[in-house]
Amino acid sequence: MNEIISLNIAQFALIYLLLLIVLFIMKKCEINQTKLLMVASIRMTVQLVLAGLILTYIFENPHPVFTVVYIMLMTGFAIHTVLQRNKSINRNFKLIASVSLAASGLAVVCFFIMAVVGVSIFNPQYTIPISGMIIGNAMTGVSLGLKTFNENIHGQRVQIDALVNMGVTPKKILAPFVNGAIETALLPTLNSMLGMGIISLPGMMTGQILSGTMPMTAILYQIAIIVSVTAVTCLAVFGSLFFGCRTLYNERSQMLI
Amino acid sequence: MALFVLEDVDFKGIIRYPHIKIEPCCTTFICGESGSGKSTLLKLLNGVISPTDGSIAYLGQDIDKLDPIALRRDVLFVGQAVYLFDKSIKDNFLAYYAYRDLDPISEAEIKHYLDICSLNLPIDSSCDVLSGGERQRVFIAINLSFCPKVLMMDEPTSALDDKNANALMENIKSHCKESDMTLIVVSHDRAIAEKYADQIILLEGGPGK
Repeated sequence: MNEIISLNIAQFALIYLLLLIVLFIMKKCEINQTKLLMVASIRMTVQLVLAGLILTYIFENPHPVFTVVYIMLMTGFAIHTVLQRNKSINRNFKLIASVSLAASGLAVVCFFIMAVVGVSIFNPQYTIPISGMIIGNAMTGVSLGLKTFNENIHGQRVQIDALVNMGVTPKKILAPFVNGAIETALLPTLNSMLGMGIISLPGMMTGQILSGTMPMTAILYQIAIIVSVTAVTCLAVFGSLFFGCRTLYNERSQMLI
Repeated sequence: MALFVLEDVDFKGIIRYPHIKIEPCCTTFICGESGSGKSTLLKLLNGVISPTDGSIAYLGQDIDKLDPIALRRDVLFVGQAVYLFDKSIKDNFLAYYAYRDLDPISEAEIKHYLDICSLNLPIDSSCDVLSGGERQRVFIAINLSFCPKVLMMDEPTSALDDKNANALMENIKSHCKESDMTLIVVSHDRAIAEKYADQIILLEGGPGK
């Protein structure tokens, strides 16, 4: 395999020309999101450059504390993002979603690194990028699951009230909403699995191939990561909603929404 | 023994109820101005909400000490907002029966309860094309078919013309009498209340009175 061609700053800067096309189309179509495009592009660049510098330092000076702190920060940021997008849920529900996201993410990361790859969990080269993908996907899944669940229970308030009045247990009333939200959260991952290898070569695999890894090795890693992402999304969303929905009623089976 | 006795009941400091006693196996109408707490009273009676202060006894027992789900099945509350699934009348019965973990109801029984609610519609009619009054009566028929000990209805005739309102109240009252079922109705329609009530509870004033 050929070694990857390093990009110099001038070559790299060319890619931002593509954003000018996006900007032009936005102006033309009067899409009022040009500020967001600018902020998102700048934030993305700064954040990734910082992450690159930090990772370079950690890889050159590997220490378990660095790996642990990095994963904790990553998990904390994922939880913060989920809660920011779902501000209306109650405090206990937020706590349950946070614990569920962190526990599912860390459990799947540990299984992937220690059982599948077979290296130490403190190895930053494996643990940090794989945690990023797993926890990042868990974050997207929980965010989507909570949003769907919340919108549906508020949109179906009349149905919920009718069932409560009829003497149906809150657990039974909320179960279809939980199931529906888990399905919604899982569907993007499941759909992307269908097109994988045909429509798209996923990011991790592309990165590995570009950096000189044999395609078959890259593919095995990619399959493993996709299966892990599916599992972590399912676990994190299920945990958040199955236990979280119990905060929506009290011991007298009265709804608190 | 009285069916319900309310003593010094207060709800969130907004609504205060006088001493109220509701007798079993008769028809009680609750009347009063908007905001006097008629609908809230029904919710308090079947434990969907709890009073902030005071006590409510059901057949001599404090309702806070009763199993809330068993209480709601005994004291069924048909709210003003009707919810029917986008399915046929029959499938709506079956869906609600499944929620209540009951065996499916027969077609003959569905027709019987629709008749009581003065509805002469095929049971495979789709509920999303029914009028407001028809939907309200299908919903009442479903609740009636659960055969509760107490049936509480909030403005059951609000979407009906006088003829249908009288037919519905006439049929439901006689069905309840035959089945030893207590009927409690919230209605702003004093004429209907005076015609069908064995007991009228008049809640006076708005919030706090």
